[in-house]
Amino acid sequence: MSRLGARLGQAVLLAVLLCWLLSLVSGYDVIADVTPARAGLHPSAQALLGTDHMGRSVAWRLVTASRAFVGPGLLAMAVALALGLPAGALAGYLGGPVAGVVRYLWAVVSAVPRFVLVLLACSIYGSEPHVLAVAAGLSFAPGLGEALTTRIEALRSREFVLATRAHGVSAARTLAWHLLWLACRALILRQLLYLLAFYLVLETSLSYVGGFGIEEPQPSWGNMLAFEFGIHGGNPAAWAAPALAIWLTVAAAIGVASTLRERGHA
Amino acid sequence: MPEPLLELVDLRIRAGTRDLVHRASLRLEPGRILALVGASGSGKTLTARACLGLVAPHPGVVGGSLSIGDGVTTWRPLALPPKARRAAFRSLRGRVVGWLPQEARASLDPLRTIGSQVRAVLSLRARDRIALPADRPRPEDWLAAAGFSDPSRVVRRYAHELSGGMAQRACIALALARGSRFLLADEPTTGLDPTVQAAILDQLGRLREEGCGLLLITHDLRIVPRHADMVAVMDQGEVVELLPADRLSQARSEPAQALLQATARIAGGLL
Repeated sequence: MSRLGARLGQAVLLAVLLCWLLSLVSGYDVIADVTPARAGLHPSAQALLGTDHMGRSVAWRLVTASRAFVGPGLLAMAVALALGLPAGALAGYLGGPVAGVVRYLWAVVSAVPRFVLVLLACSIYGSEPHVLAVAAGLSFAPGLGEALTTRIEALRSREFVLATRAHGVSAARTLAWHLLWLACRALILRQLLYLLAFYLVLETSLSYVGGFGIEEPQPSWGNMLAFEFGIHGGNPAAWAAPALAIWLTVAAAIGVASTLRERGHA
Repeated sequence: MPEPLLELVDLRIRAGTRDLVHRASLRLEPGRILALVGASGSGKTLTARACLGLVAPHPGVVGGSLSIGDGVTTWRPLALPPKARRAAFRSLRGRVVGWLPQEARASLDPLRTIGSQVRAVLSLRARDRIALPADRPRPEDWLAAAGFSDPSRVVRRYAHELSGGMAQRACIALALARGSRFLLADEPTTGLDPTVQAAILDQLGRLREEGCGLLLITHDLRIVPRHADMVAVMDQGEVVELLPADRLSQARSEPAQALLQATARIAGGLL
């Protein structure tokens, strides 16, 4: 991806984050906004992206729908980090039986496909966003952990790590600062952005299908698309805007992730 | 006789049922350079790493005694139980025993600039309350002390942007900045052109003049008579001969003879 592409991707992700923050403070009421008299208005100066078939502002619903995946996406990232980072880092640094046990656990979790794992969690614990988020985070922990284990395993016997220890840096600091932070932060962020993209696709897919995820009247880009697509004579922006938002956000997350590299040459 | 900075008696390092190092005895005094010579695989680097406590449990140090002193206090880490031993080595590394690695470029952190690495070492020095010379407060000052003519440019560079000689100088700058009481230099001139070799050796000589001890590991016998005070010859994990460096040509042990003859075949003898 070009430098310009990376900048655009970062701008899209920043815009999504700002939408989320705006939705938290805006006080937009999804029920009170129902105005059948204004149904299906096309974009205009009065309604930026027009209205949907129930007369609700598409722009405000689009902004509010970011709540459906940004907060839970961050929770999913926290779960993946909490599980994958310490186990993966220790397995890579210590090697031997510790790495064997951790890799076995990753293999067990990875044996269940991600989507199946999420559906399984939903069927047991319900389809609340936090359940989806924890399941998504759990399904990404093996990927993050294994990537960290492989990277740290490759670095731990390198001369510069020995030299760092010889200068008097403790093993814990060598692992936390020199290996994890300096050598793996791009890898970690890459995995977390992939997880955000996965969570967005997961959430919008489930909301689109219905029965899982965010349900009407709460907005999600998935249910906005599902409810507005194919309505004869409706406002095309009501389904095109969430569809474009999904595509742009997923492309931005994956695109930015693919450009992340550590500085220097490790 | 002054208190030694490093005294190793009958060190034994074992891997499985095989002794990689045995009967390795060395003594290093302040302001002296002890050359440790021997063929590749004779156990020189392993012995030095044992002095830093950086030999993995397998192989592991299974015998011998090690005394490390800073002129005031003497530590005997090998006499301690494992947990206390690890803590003792951790407190000695860098503060008392410094390390000048063999592969300089690979020993520099590839993800940080040279300046950032010198700053990190200076913060370790501050942590250990080692006084900082008033005329060398910045990383650039230590790089200049290691022989860089343009330290302000070097501080912004990464290891892969340095030549072999520059990387070795950067490692010397790190060792100087760390302020260790003595240095274990593992083949610091290997792979460098003669001009850089001479500059590095002169730099190490200046360290000696400042009272720093130096264990100089090398398989290049030509540099020993001029740059070392004593020489220990190692073969198959054993120190087989210890003699003044200027009498290296009179060494009697078979391994020393073999090294001398090989040196003569390559370069026509000792310089």
